[in-house]
Amino acid sequence: MTEIGATLYQRFGSIHKRRLVTVSALAVGVVVMLGLDLWAGPAGLAFSDIVLGLIDPQQLELRHRIILWDVRLPDALIALVVGAALGLAGIETQTILDNPLASPFTLGVSSAAVLGASLAIVVVPVVPFFAEAAVLPMMALLFALGSGVLILMIVRWSNGARETVVLFGIALVFLCNALTAGLQYIASAEAVQQIVFWTIGNLTRAGWPEVAMVGACFVCVLPFSLRHVWVMTLLRGGEAHARSMGINVARLRLWVILRVSLLAAFAVCFVGAIGFIGLVGPHIARLILGEDHRMLVPGSALCGALILSCASFLSKALIPGVIIPVGILTAVVGVPVFLGLLSGRRRMA
Amino acid sequence: MTRFTARGISAFYGRKHVLDRVDLPDLTDNQVLGLLGPNASGKSTLMRCLSGEKTTEGRIAIDGETRANMGHDGWHHRLASMPQSPPNPSALLPTELMWSTARALDLDLSDQELGRQIEDIFKRLGLAELALAPLHTLSGGKRQLVGLALALMRDPDVLLLDEPTSALDLHWRMVVLDLVRERLAERGGVVIAALHDLDLAARYCDLIVLLHRGKIIASGTPSEVLTPANLARVYRVETRVTADEDGRPIVHVIRPLRDFETA
Repeated sequence: MTEIGATLYQRFGSIHKRRLVTVSALAVGVVVMLGLDLWAGPAGLAFSDIVLGLIDPQQLELRHRIILWDVRLPDALIALVVGAALGLAGIETQTILDNPLASPFTLGVSSAAVLGASLAIVVVPVVPFFAEAAVLPMMALLFALGSGVLILMIVRWSNGARETVVLFGIALVFLCNALTAGLQYIASAEAVQQIVFWTIGNLTRAGWPEVAMVGACFVCVLPFSLRHVWVMTLLRGGEAHARSMGINVARLRLWVILRVSLLAAFAVCFVGAIGFIGLVGPHIARLILGEDHRMLVPGSALCGALILSCASFLSKALIPGVIIPVGILTAVVGVPVFLGLLSGRRRMA
Repeated sequence: MTRFTARGISAFYGRKHVLDRVDLPDLTDNQVLGLLGPNASGKSTLMRCLSGEKTTEGRIAIDGETRANMGHDGWHHRLASMPQSPPNPSALLPTELMWSTARALDLDLSDQELGRQIEDIFKRLGLAELALAPLHTLSGGKRQLVGLALALMRDPDVLLLDEPTSALDLHWRMVVLDLVRERLAERGGVVIAALHDLDLAARYCDLIVLLHRGKIIASGTPSEVLTPANLARVYRVETRVTADEDGRPIVHVIRPLRDFETA
């Protein structure tokens, strides 16, 4: 690829360029997937109508305009932003905890969200000034943020010890699951069914306000993630080396976990516990992009968006007239892709 | 010209006293100090105290200035340390590790200058071929060399090496320590290395400090420190010490000593 005798600077530069092309391809893939996701659905809109309706909504007949702008677009976009948020949160968690099995869910954020949602479903609290439909995501968000605060306190208290943080996160998962099970035990059959349905994860509940909120959270967090790409790359060499170079790892860990908790809390509170993306999105990105976080951080967000968008498309397209909950499909889509990449990597090595 | 002093270093883990008022000999340009001692003697803790990573009582200074005077950044500009464990075997490339470190530390170098500097360091350590090979494909020894390359990144005046040769075979042990010596001859500075190989220490160090249970047992030139009495007390082995043609001590280990013999 590069001529022999090239300097390290040139050879390293060409690797970087190749990865830039891969990230661009991922971005194009996300746009294509968004188009497919908008097109799929029971109303039978032609693909040309979709493109036309996006450019100039007035050209579309009213019925189609409502379907496109009020139903399909928010659903498709929430898939993108939630996927991107979980992908970003996932890569940051894995790097900062130096644990390939870690995801935002290891920290207990999603279990806390499920507990909050279950509480809303079972107890049906009446909150003044809040519409009944808004109470559930609000409770999920509050509990998810609450678990984030707990984790941050542990990070501070343990001075950033990574095993302590992981163990506490797992303990929190078990505690929240137990409390949720307790709620299910006393709840009516109907409420239990609702809880299960929420836990599986579903994109069709979201509208424009939800898209805006998750999107705003992602956009606010991303610049801080990008500011830390160098030190996160360095951290892949090991915590001891980062420390010995004078990097304050404990403080970095605090900031990163704050970001991750925010992202995960907003991502799951509206759509339910779509867990798999935060784990497999980063791994796929790592396999195709390597460890340089300059590319890996945006790449992981794009992978997350791509997987969830693809799952959203399949949930509508697989069985005509039936919408399969997207939480079931993320793993069904993600696992084969992941295994394929993994075995490809094996053969190359 | 570099002068490194460390006096009255005490350190605790919780309430456990792991270093008790350790005084190192003052080091000036071109000197290599070896820290010797059995496992759990406090070598690694002392290294972490010297680098500023662990808080201590006592005074550590470069050219009379402490870390508090110099500030975090100024201190790490003059002092670098290489941890005992090599970098993780991840898919990270050695070049990425070096590059991201330089950028995370805001080193004032253009991309081209940085590339050249990294290439130079890798060449000296025999890593040029592996500059773009994922760390998990490298042997433990090669990864340890990458760790050394990282410590040399800022061209420090004070270089702390914690068991720098533990994962290396004989050839590379000599290469690394020769290189450390060569570098001192070229540019000055001081090196402090925690070692467990007595012969290697005798051969490469100007001064040796023998640590045992957080205290200094002996301190001085290799022939002053490496005596059968000191080694019996610290390592619990019977030894015979001879001298090579340059007068450097060679330690022959004869047998382990039983408890009543060392008491």
